[in-house]
Amino acid sequence: MLKRVIAGAERVLGLHAPGRNLAVFPDDTFLVSYPKSGNTWARFLIANLVHPHAKIDFSNVNRMIPGPEVTRNRDLMRTPRPRIIKSHQYFDPRYRRVIYIVRDPRDVVVSQYHFQRKRKLLADQYPLSEYVGRFVAGQTSFYGSWGEHVASWLATRHGRPGFLLLRYEDMVEDTARELSKVASFLGLSSTPEMVLQAVERSSADRMRALEKSQAQLFTSTKNTRQDIPFVRKAEAGGWRSALPEACALQLDEAWGNLMQWLGYEPVFAEKSNVAEDQHAGFFVGPRP
Amino acid sequence: MFSRLIGGSKMMLGLHRPRRSLVILPDDTFLVSFPKSGNTWSRFLIANLVHPDQPVGFENIHRLVPDPYATAKRDFDRMPRPRIIKSHECFEPRYPKVMYIVRDPRDVVISQYHYHRKCKKIEDGYPMEKFVARFVAGDTCPHGSWGENVGTWLTARHNHPRFLLLRYEDMVADPRRELARVATFLNIPADSERILKAVERSSAEQMRKLEKTQADQCGLTKETRKDLSFVRAAKSGGWQKELPEHLVAKIEDAWPHLMTFLGYQLVTRKGPVPVPEFSGLVTSGV
Repeated sequence: MLKRVIAGAERVLGLHAPGRNLAVFPDDTFLVSYPKSGNTWARFLIANLVHPHAKIDFSNVNRMIPGPEVTRNRDLMRTPRPRIIKSHQYFDPRYRRVIYIVRDPRDVVVSQYHFQRKRKLLADQYPLSEYVGRFVAGQTSFYGSWGEHVASWLATRHGRPGFLLLRYEDMVEDTARELSKVASFLGLSSTPEMVLQAVERSSADRMRALEKSQAQLFTSTKNTRQDIPFVRKAEAGGWRSALPEACALQLDEAWGNLMQWLGYEPVFAEKSNVAEDQHAGFFVGPRP
Repeated sequence: MFSRLIGGSKMMLGLHRPRRSLVILPDDTFLVSFPKSGNTWSRFLIANLVHPDQPVGFENIHRLVPDPYATAKRDFDRMPRPRIIKSHECFEPRYPKVMYIVRDPRDVVISQYHYHRKCKKIEDGYPMEKFVARFVAGDTCPHGSWGENVGTWLTARHNHPRFLLLRYEDMVADPRRELARVATFLNIPADSERILKAVERSSAEQMRKLEKTQADQCGLTKETRKDLSFVRAAKSGGWQKELPEHLVAKIEDAWPHLMTFLGYQLVTRKGPVPVPEFSGLVTSGV
């Protein structure tokens, strides 16, 4: 009962985080990804590009690019329009303009494993192989499995206007090129110098330095273990040394087709389930 | 501010509709479909199957098979478990067990057109041409387009042991066979007498009778035009007479792949259906 009173009062004051009940405006743009796919880095890049005169750091990035899971409803409603909103939601038909970041699930799972340790949700010695099993089953996040998340957006929006697909790996390889794509998608008239400046202001080194002094000011790092960094390696392909072969194979088996389509070559292509049936190619549920 | 106050007080009393904030329990089963795909008929069938000793009608269906957009949170909390819950949402990973009803979009659009007239959302002479264009764009309801709704569920859950795909057309052709599949899925004894009784109690004729007397006791029909009925033809394939060919083509052009996969044969396309770039179930136009 008390919980309900608090929830009711929070609602009256707009202090609740709206989550999937977010009120969407037609001119909103969403920055969507599965968790641990480079979303925070992308927020820094975009906020630095859109607000070249502000100093983007962990204390204000939530205000510049708010998220329905972390920002209070009151602040979301007060954000000047057009809003750019960060989100980890699986397909939501109300999101009309979407920048979707995808990352190799083999790197995502390693990143998520360390992040859960940082948040004290996993003990240090928790076996990675066990974590991969839960990851494939979609039990490590509130947003479905990696395959369900990615496929729900690609199956509905790929190739349509109002949808920009970015690969984390491409962003690492040529950040300025990928950020320019974002600039044109947002209709910004950014010069190459402005793009370059945003890239520099969002570098892993700079973000690491900011994290050192601002960890308590940011929702994802507040009250977490400070011996494990939030900004980790910031590179692609780390799974090759971090992930045991059997785990990599498990991911191939779950989402081989989807991974291949995205350019994430399965390690054991001949063993992965390259579907015969053209219709079944991208079903991400278990095979019969 | 005033509406927020009301919203907040309702929340304290549990009178608000939980909508997307519904607390989902591990033994919940969801009855999901795009709107106007036979969801209400299925709710009657299932409620009659699960509660053979209770008369099921429009006045109590919201408590027997509740709807997060129409049933109060308090009623959800008081329901006996395991619950069976109605939903029109696109893919929702938190739903542990799902029965998904799909219906030929060429029939869905006609049914939705008449329902919108009944709800006074469009006037009688509203051009079907315009409605079909909005339907294809996903602008006629808040649950995505037909292709988005069906496509996200199939992509994520097809072949899953806790996912049951039902076609409205199969239910019309042999409701007893399809309801027996539902019973097995729900682990309810599927004896033929119980199934037959549920089918009879949920017949279109029976539902029309109930609608006449109970229309004002159900959110689906309350405050809508009474000269148009909620339970309409209850048939499949009506589009062949009612939908002009160029509008059929519009729908078939929007989702050729998905319709073919579901066995809804295309009539306006010559030659094979092109495979879209993101193969499998692309739900956008090709």
